[in-house]
This record gives sequence, C-alpha cells and structure tokens, in this order.
Amino acid sequence: MTRSETPSPLPFRLPAGGLIDRSTEIRFSFDGRSYAGHPGDTLASALLANGVRLVGRSFKYHRPRGLLSAGPEEPNGLVELRAGARREPNTRATVAELYDGLEATSQNRWPSLRFDLMSLNQLAAPILSAGFYYKTFMWPAALWEKLYEPMIRRAAGLGRAAEAPDPDRYEKATAHCDVLVVGGGPAGLAAALAAARTGARVILADEDFRLGGRLLAEAQTIDGRPALEWAALAEAELEAAPEVRIFRRTTVFGAYDHGAYGAVERVNDHVATPPAYEPRQRLWRFVAERCVLAAGAIERPLVFPGNDRPGVMLAGAVRTYAHRYGVAAGREAVVFSTGDDALRTARELAAGGVTVAAWVDARREPPDALREAVQELGAPFYPDGAITAVHGRTSIQAVDIRTPLFQTTLECDLVAMSGGWSPTLHLTSHLGGRPVWDEALGAYRPGAPPPGMSVAGAAAGGMTLRECLATGGRLGLEAARAAGFEGTDAPPPVAWPESAAAATLWRGPTGKGKAFVDFQNDVTDADLELAEREGYRSVEHAKRYTTLGMATDQGKTSGVNAVGILAGLRGQGMAETGTTTFRPPYTPVSFGAMGGHHRGKEFRPTRRTAAHAWAAEQGASFVESGVWLRAEWFTRPGETDWMQSCAREVATVRGAVGICDVSTLGKIDIQGPDAAALLDRLYTGTFSTLPVGRARYGLMLREDGFVFDDGTTARLGAEHYLMTTTTANAGKVMQHIEFALQWLWPELDAQAVSVTEQWAQFAVAGPRSRELLARVVAEDVSNEAVPFMAALPVTLPGGVRGRLFRISFSGELAYEIGAPSSYGEALARALMEAGRDLGVAPYGLEALNVMRIEKGHVAGGELNGQTTARDLGLQKMVSTKKDFIGRVMAQRPALVAPDRPALVGWKSADPSVRVSAGAHFLDVGAAASMENDLGYVTAAAWSAHAGGWIGLGLMKHGPERIGETVRAWDAVRGRDTPVTLCAPCFYDPQGERLRG
Amino acid sequence: MAEIALSPPLSAFAALARHGRHGRAEGPAGVVVEELRGLALATVIARKGRAADLAAACRASFGVEPASTPRRTAKDGLAVVWSGPGQWLAVAEKGHPLTAGGADGLADALRGALAGLASVTDQSDARGALRLSGPRVRDALAKGLALDLHPRAFRPGDAASTWCALIDVQLWQVDAAPTYDLLVARGFAGSFWHWLEASAAEFGLEVR
Amino acid sequence: MRITCPHCGERGNEEFAYLGDATVRRPDDAGAARPGAPEFERWMDYVYLRDNPAGRHRELWQHVHGCRAWLVVTRDISTHAIFSVEDARAAALARPSLVARDAAS
Ligand SMILES: [Zn+2]
Repeated sequence: MTRSETPSPLPFRLPAGGLIDRSTEIRFSFDGRSYAGHPGDTLASALLANGVRLVGRSFKYHRPRGLLSAGPEEPNGLVELRAGARREPNTRATVAELYDGLEATSQNRWPSLRFDLMSLNQLAAPILSAGFYYKTFMWPAALWEKLYEPMIRRAAGLGRAAEAPDPDRYEKATAHCDVLVVGGGPAGLAAALAAARTGARVILADEDFRLGGRLLAEAQTIDGRPALEWAALAEAELEAAPEVRIFRRTTVFGAYDHGAYGAVERVNDHVATPPAYEPRQRLWRFVAERCVLAAGAIERPLVFPGNDRPGVMLAGAVRTYAHRYGVAAGREAVVFSTGDDALRTARELAAGGVTVAAWVDARREPPDALREAVQELGAPFYPDGAITAVHGRTSIQAVDIRTPLFQTTLECDLVAMSGGWSPTLHLTSHLGGRPVWDEALGAYRPGAPPPGMSVAGAAAGGMTLRECLATGGRLGLEAARAAGFEGTDAPPPVAWPESAAAATLWRGPTGKGKAFVDFQNDVTDADLELAEREGYRSVEHAKRYTTLGMATDQGKTSGVNAVGILAGLRGQGMAETGTTTFRPPYTPVSFGAMGGHHRGKEFRPTRRTAAHAWAAEQGASFVESGVWLRAEWFTRPGETDWMQSCAREVATVRGAVGICDVSTLGKIDIQGPDAAALLDRLYTGTFSTLPVGRARYGLMLREDGFVFDDGTTARLGAEHYLMTTTTANAGKVMQHIEFALQWLWPELDAQAVSVTEQWAQFAVAGPRSRELLARVVAEDVSNEAVPFMAALPVTLPGGVRGRLFRISFSGELAYEIGAPSSYGEALARALMEAGRDLGVAPYGLEALNVMRIEKGHVAGGELNGQTTARDLGLQKMVSTKKDFIGRVMAQRPALVAPDRPALVGWKSADPSVRVSAGAHFLDVGAAASMENDLGYVTAAAWSAHAGGWIGLGLMKHGPERIGETVRAWDAVRGRDTPVTLCAPCFYDPQGERLRG
Repeated sequence: MAEIALSPPLSAFAALARHGRHGRAEGPAGVVVEELRGLALATVIARKGRAADLAAACRASFGVEPASTPRRTAKDGLAVVWSGPGQWLAVAEKGHPLTAGGADGLADALRGALAGLASVTDQSDARGALRLSGPRVRDALAKGLALDLHPRAFRPGDAASTWCALIDVQLWQVDAAPTYDLLVARGFAGSFWHWLEASAAEFGLEVR
Repeated sequence: MRITCPHCGERGNEEFAYLGDATVRRPDDAGAARPGAPEFERWMDYVYLRDNPAGRHRELWQHVHGCRAWLVVTRDISTHAIFSVEDARAAALARPSLVARDAAS
C-alpha cells in the first residue's frame, strides 16, 4: 500500500462519505493500467471512482459496455481477475472486493477494449438476431466444424480460463443449524436476531463482505438512529451469541431437498494469495431445520433504445456507489423511473454535488409529493415520459427525452433507471416452486417455497425497510419455534414509512438504436418480437430461442422484463404469460470449490494393500484396479519394456516360484446355521456339500440370468465359510449378500461380514511353491496333508495365525497364504526370504493375466455383465436341482440360443503380429460389416509357452469351429490378423501340474 | 537355511503419522491426532432372534451391555460399539487381558461366551484407528464428515458409521473435550490421512 | 435428499444406494418356472416389470455408507417428500408367506 505521497483525489470520488477507508490507498490494475482505490471498494466502485466507464464488450455484438449494477446481478462488468495460474474469467467487478495488487483484465475484446474489431458484428446485426445460431449454422453441416465454430469461438466467448493448474486449495464442508438465514440485510439481521435469542443454532450467510445489505447503500434510520448503527449492534449481538455462526462472503446458491443448501464461501478471494494452509474458497453444505430467505430484491432496468450504453445504470446501483463507496457515477444525471424509489438516488446524487438534470417518469400521473421532492432538488420533472435515444458510444453525451407534449435532447453523462424491484426469490424456486405474479406489487412473489423455508423482507415483496424489519423478526422467531425453540414476540425496530409505489413499464417507445433486455447475451426487444412472430410462444421456448436469461447471470435483470414484453406482444397478462423457474446455482460456482480436496491424486480415495511398500521396493508399477492400487509388473535392472518384465515373471512362476499380492480380492466371512443354504442360493453350484477344509470355485448370476461374479469359497467349519470375490465386484457382492439376507430370505440364520481388509493374502505359485511354504508354515504342507483345493488354518513364524488355500489361477502348483494385514508386509518379506535360493520373484497383474489366459480362466474381459454361464463354457457348474439367484431367467430362449457368442481360444498364425482385445472376429474374405461380425477378442497375451499371441474370445459357434482360421480385425489399430481357433486352454489341459 | 521369522506387525498409519507439528505453526494446535495401536477388534453379529440373549450373555461375561442404538458401551478397556442392526464391533484396548495371547484373543473369548448367539469375526487388522481431539477438531472433521457433531446432537458415547471424504468410517465420541475415536478401513489409511492433514492444516495439526 | 435411517438418523443421500421398487416379490417356484409356463411369466414380471407412479412409491435403498441396513423408503417420487423409512428386514419378515398368498389369490 502506498502512503508515500498525498493521493490526488480521484476524479469521481465524492469529497466525503462512504464505507471506505480513505486513509489507506491501495493500487490495482485494469487492462495493464494502474489505478488507486481504498479498502472497502469493489473493483467496480474503484473503476468508477477513477472515471473508468467502459469495462467490457458484449457477447454477441461486442458493444461497449459499462457497469449496470452494484451487485451480483451484474451482466456487463465481467472481467478476468488475477493472472497466470490464478486467472479467473467472468468475474463480476461489482462483487470483486478490491485488494492491493489486484489485477483485472477486460474480456471479450480484440485487440483492445476501446478499439474492438469484433464490434463490426454490429453491422451484421440483422443476421445475428434471435435464432441466429439455429438458422445460420444448420447447413451445410461440414462448415460448422471448419468455419462457424472457430469463428464464433474467436468472436464470442467470454473470458479465458487459466492454462496452468490452480495452485490454491479448495475445501468442502458441512454445517448444521436450526435456522439458516440467507441474507444479512435488515430482514436477515432481524430474522437472525429473533432466532438467536431463542437459543437456536443459527447460521447467517451473506454474499457481501460486510453485513447490512441495502442498509449499506441507503441513508435510512432505525429506532431514530442511522440504520448502520442498528446493523452494527445487531452484528455485535450475533457475534457474541454462542450458537450463531456468521458467514460473510458466502453465497447460498442452491436449495436442495429436505433442508440442504449449497453455499460457497469466498474465504480468500479478497487477497492476492491465500495465507498458507487456508483455502481460496470453501463449498458448504448447510443442513437446516428451517430457512429464512431474506435475499432482498434486484432492480429491473428499463428497456429503451441505447439502454446499454456505458453510463446507463440502475438507479439503486447509482446510489449504492454514492452512499457506500463515495463515488459519483457521473456528473450530470437523468433519472428514468417507473416508481418513487429512485427519489433516494436523486437525493443521494444531489447531496454529493451531482446535478440531477431531469426526472423522467414513465407514469402518467406520478404522485405530487414525488414531483415536489424532485423539484426541490432543482430538477425538471417529466411525467408520462421516456428516453428514446442515448447519444454517445463509449460514454453518454446526451439523451433524447419524449413526453406526449414535447421532445428534447438533454446533455448528461449518467442515466439512473429504475423499472421497479423484483424479489430475489431464486431459492424458493429451486425445488420446482413457481413464482406468482403480483399485479399490485408489479413483480413476481415467491410461490410456495420449499418445505421449511419462509421468505422475509424484499425477497417476499415487502419493499420498505419497515416491512423488512417486521417480517424478518417475525419469521426468524417462527422458524426457531418450528425447530423446537421458545421465544417471545418483540416489536420490530422503528423505521420511517416510505413510498415504494411503482408502476411497470416493460418497454419504452421505440426510437433510434437497440433496446436491450438481456445485456449479457445481447437480446433485444426486437429479438423477442421475432421469437413471438415465429411461434415461440411459451416463455421457456422464447428464452431458448433467443438465449435470453441463459448467460452466466441467468437473466437476473432481464427475466421479468422479457415476460412483460412477451405478455404485451400477446396482449395478455403476466400471470397468463407465465414465468421461468430457476435452478441452482444462483451465481456461478467454481469447479475448484465443487471438487474441494478431491482433485489430482486425491481425486478419489485410493486403497493400498498391506504390502504396498514392499511391492514398491521391489520395483512395482502400480495400476488402479477399482480404487485399489495393484502391481502390474516389477521392473528389474536392465529391463526396458514391461513385456520383458512380464515374460520374466511368467517364466519364474512356470519354472520356479512367484509371489503375487492378491489381497484385493473380496473376502466375505459367512457364518451361521444357514450359511450353507445361503451359499446354495447365491451360487449356481452347491456349497452345502463342500467338506470342511475344502474350497470350491463358484459362479454367481444376477437375477436376470447373466454372470455376476466368480471366486473360490472355502468351508472353514460346519457353519463357517470364507467367500472370495473378484476385486472389482467385492463391494457389489457384499451388498448382494446383504440384500439376500435382509430382504429376499430374512428367515435364513446366516451372518456375513467383509474381511477383505483383515487378511493380506499372497499367491505362491510355481513348481517350487510347496518347498517354499514348508519353510514358512509350521504345519505339514505335503500333497497328502494339503491336497488340491484344501483350505486350512496354519501357523506362521512367531505363532501368527494364518490361512492356507491350495488353489491355482496360474495352472501351476500353487497356494494362497493369508496373514492378518498387520503382518502382510512381514509375510511378503518372509516369503521372499524363504524362497531366495529357489529363485522366487514377485509377479504382477500382467503375468497373472498371461497365465490365466494360458489356462483359459475367465476374468474381467469375459465377466463383462453380458455373458451367461453357457457362453463361458461353465454350464456344467449350473445346478438344476435347486433355486438360486438367476436360475429362472438364465433359461430364457435368447440366453440359451445356439448362436450366442461363446468362449473360444485363438492363436495368431504369425507370432510377430500382435492381436489386442477388442478385435472382431471375421471370416476370411468377409467384409467388415455388422452382418459378418462373429464376435470379438476378450483377452490377448504374448505366450512364451505357446510361442506367439494367444487369447480368448467370444464367438458365434466358436466352440464348433475349433481348428478353423478366422481373422482378428482391429480397425482401431489398423490390424487384420489371421488367427486359428482352439479350445480355451493352452497350458497343461489335464491339470497335472496344479495337482502335483 | 536360517529360520524364517516375521518382522513385527505394522499398524495402518505407521508409515503415515509423522510425529510433531504440521500445518500452521503458530499458537496451540487446533487438532491433535494419535494413532491407536494394538486395538483388538471383532465383529459380533447376532444370530437370528438372539439379540436379547446375546446382550445378556455379553453383560454376564464381560460386564458390558451392547446398546441397541448407535452408542458405545464400555467397561475396563473393553467396549462394544453398535454398528448396525444386530451388529456390534467389540474393541479391546491395547494390553487388555483378553488379548494377552494376541489380538485375536478377543474374538476367541467372544466366540466362547456367545456360542450359538452370535457370529464373531476377528477384525483387529482390518482397521486403522485414530484418536482426534483439539479445540478445532470439529471444524476439521466438518470438511469431510457430514455428521452433526454439535454437543446438542452428538455426545460422549454416541457412535456412528458414516462417510468421511468419500471413505467409510466408524467413530464415537470419547469425552466432552471433545475427543473422538475414528476407524477407517486399513487400505484407505493413506487417503484418509492425506485428507486429515489437509483439513487440519489451517488450524495446526499435532501428531502424537 | 436426506433420508432418515431408522437406525442411524438423518443422513445425506450420498450415504445410500438405491435399488428400486420394493413392491415386487421374488417368486419361490424356480423349479416350475420354465419358459412358456405361467410361473415363468411371474418371474419375468418380478425381474423386469415395474410401475412408475408419479407420486407415492415404495423403494429399496441401502444405508451402504452407514449401518448397511436395507431400507424401504416410501416417498413421492415427483416431490421427493419422504413419508416413511422402514427397516427392510423387519418389513420382509412381516410379509405374508408366499404359500399363504397363493392360497388366498
Ligand atoms: Zn443406518
């Protein structure tokens, strides 16, 4: 901050007043130029104080635009905030809190804001009218990609996203309360106070960096004192209340079912760099018993020719700039209004030394009191009048004023317009509530708000301070009572009566120039006329056709005017014309906040096995398998290619012994008198006949008859089984069992619980595996003691209780050995130590895959949710003697049709040509067409044993065509390879090795 | 060759929890975390229609009556935490006499006392356990836990199975300080720890 | 949405898994249900036929990231208003037996 020299007064800063710290000057830049402002300013107020009127270019016509508003509804003043990796596009200058060093850049202009070549679009305006995208670019389609889209992208587009990863942190959090108060203006403060005094847990959220709402922007009195004093007392009381949490800079952007609300807290958007460990933004979920919506109101612009010129602003915003920021938005102002409220703007301007050049009132007979009050300010008063033209391009020079009696051109540089105020009722509509037109109010009121929500103050249509304080206090207390708290009614603070009388004017007389309805999307009254003429009669259709209300501001300043104009065109009332509903978010929410902690490596949780560190030490490359990280292969020094490592690992297992961490397989402990009966109903095969101490392969179907999952299940005791599932389906199978036990067959006395995490388990596979295990396990592991498919408890070194299963996926003599997970890493190391002289090595998923393909075991490629037991050649595992899940549907004719693709093995005729999963089987000479498609390759691997590329596939009549040559046609990789069909087992078909 | 031995067991957070101060360094730590090592855990699921008998047997054998709502009941270092209808997690503190021969001693003892009444499964190695406290512990947990931990809503002895930062957790309140014990599946310990470190950093995290 | 688990209390819908219609009942005559038989049609209805009422509906959910109980949630699927949440196991045990139902129909 600079205090070295007395700052020269900024050209449009009023000599006094405003909630800014004039003793401190802070510097900021806009489009590379340096400016001064004060703490308490927004970027918008500081730009205006410096006389910067032109802040952006419009989306379609690239018209010069200035600030329209002073709040979140701003359609024009969108800038890129910050630079580099922290650059954030489409930020509203009106809510960007000024800080020292703030950098902002205008957007949507080229090469510069003042001289924008794209504004030539204005000359092409006739073809850019409503429906332009739909009409112009429909044909020919080829031009869309090459011409139209690049052109539109360059010409239109909003700001530029940062190109580097956002260096800041974001968070998500939940907070609970009895009463959520949305909005910290007079109604919200009153509601929060009333609720807090009952002892209820209250959350008060306001999007501004300072509580007070319109009280910050108006000269008002409450209880005979300046309103801000009342607000300060209220704030102090709330701060001191133990069960109240105040969230400043927090926008409640969405209302969701059953009392959940979404909010974004801009924790550190008001500093250049967030302090260490603090997030930039925090996404909140508020869970509230009750909610009082006190979101205020948004002023409507008037639709008249030239109403988008820089310097035409909302009257309420003009007085916000003057009162809150001590900034004159111009030097000579014309007020154009349909109501009395703008009088406060005129007074505020006059008090600040700004000339009020005229008051143009759209009403035929405005109140006499208003006329007198305006004339007291020295301004001419024009009833039944309108502005019909605005002179000047990047700033206003003069306006044309027309009344039935005369017409004049008046010099000025500011138009303060007011078309009345619309309640900010968005949150009442997020769950489908439709706003209701109130003719007397001249605005939409909230319809039925969601359960638990009540609406106070201006958001409910009570536009005076009196009403805000009264309804806020009453509804705050009611909300607390509804949440179970007790409190006594208290009279509301006293505010002077004021006139909120207003009429509606949806569009002024036509004149020279465009009259904009939606500033951000450049939709004019003429566009709405065109839409109406072309038959887009429903508001929803007209909105989509013209794109009105579909910009980032969601039509906050345009929606109601558009309905009014459409109603006028059709000669019907507002109520019959309808309205649009609103959807979250109320204002844009960044993806960063939505993601919170979960991005990059933390995008989703990862799961590591107990021996992960050991695998990493061994050179493992990890792959995500579901959320688990599993070793794909282990790179040894000198190996440059994963296939080399994989081939070595296969050779190790086939020739000596290998170790593979299989802890990720789902393990489910099933006990109880009916455990066997349960398994018989879950699996196609019979498990009640399985002897204790033995394991059996099981196949599970879904109720629709397709294969769901497979795995080996062991019987540990008469009433005790241990089921294993695939890694991918572990969670789903657990849910399936719980569903069976709780809903399908609650009469079964069986209990199931996941023990996946309790046991670390390793496959020990290869001809020397028994030798290795004998050194680790205390018990006899001979073929007699531990035959194929045996399952038994064993004792590990130090007396640790382990489990041993003699099962094989690789086709070799193999076991799986389990230890409690705390010993997982220790067991891996012990197995390596014990097998050192046997040539042991760890192997990963790729080697596992090669060996299971060689053995023809089905896995993920074949268990793809579209295959039946019969397709996989597993029909003999399907019992016909009992009911089990999927039995009936598996008999459907289409599931047993003879031409269903069935499991087959294949071998490439040319060992040098690679075949990949996904290639389609075609007959030799057949064209690659859907009719000729025979099926596809589900798994492929290089097999040293077979001396070439082998694999599995699903093929029509495949099992009947063994020995024939077909093609594996792979359009993605541009390959077309002859393959010979064979039985799906390439290695030790008699199973001698695994039983040895 | 030499006798094969198993190296000592590793707790879930052993490689993650670096002792000392993390995050904001000024002022007292807002969040204090300590890994609870050596807990013995066992899932106890009532056999069909035997929940009442199970409760009585549990009281008779161990002096602890399992709750039928999400609560933790405890006596002399042995706690029973409701974790679902008819389902509890038994937790024996490190050094509890039942675990003299190893953590699975708890499951053995329960199996013996509750034979025919419950299915018992050793889970001592399936979870990582953390004890969390500190003046800002609720604020840190709120960044992942959607549960209402306000003293009016969640009190000492209350327990919950829920989701925290996309990870299943089970937690209970130990005392009004407040102190919470939180269990997470062992495989998720790394992701959970990263979340905890990030979420507690702005308050200052002390790892004990 | 927020669902009040009868065991755990009110939780956000992210803790629950949705399955679907709780009004269908799995037949228990798998042995007789061969394609073409009337029993088979009943199985087809059980697996595939669903009403989609614009209003009150009984649905199966599981408190999968909580107590893991399956639940029967009765709610209005157009307004999301929830009328009741029951433990599915208790509801299942209260069902009439299929034999009794067949005899009555
Ligand atoms: Zn629950």
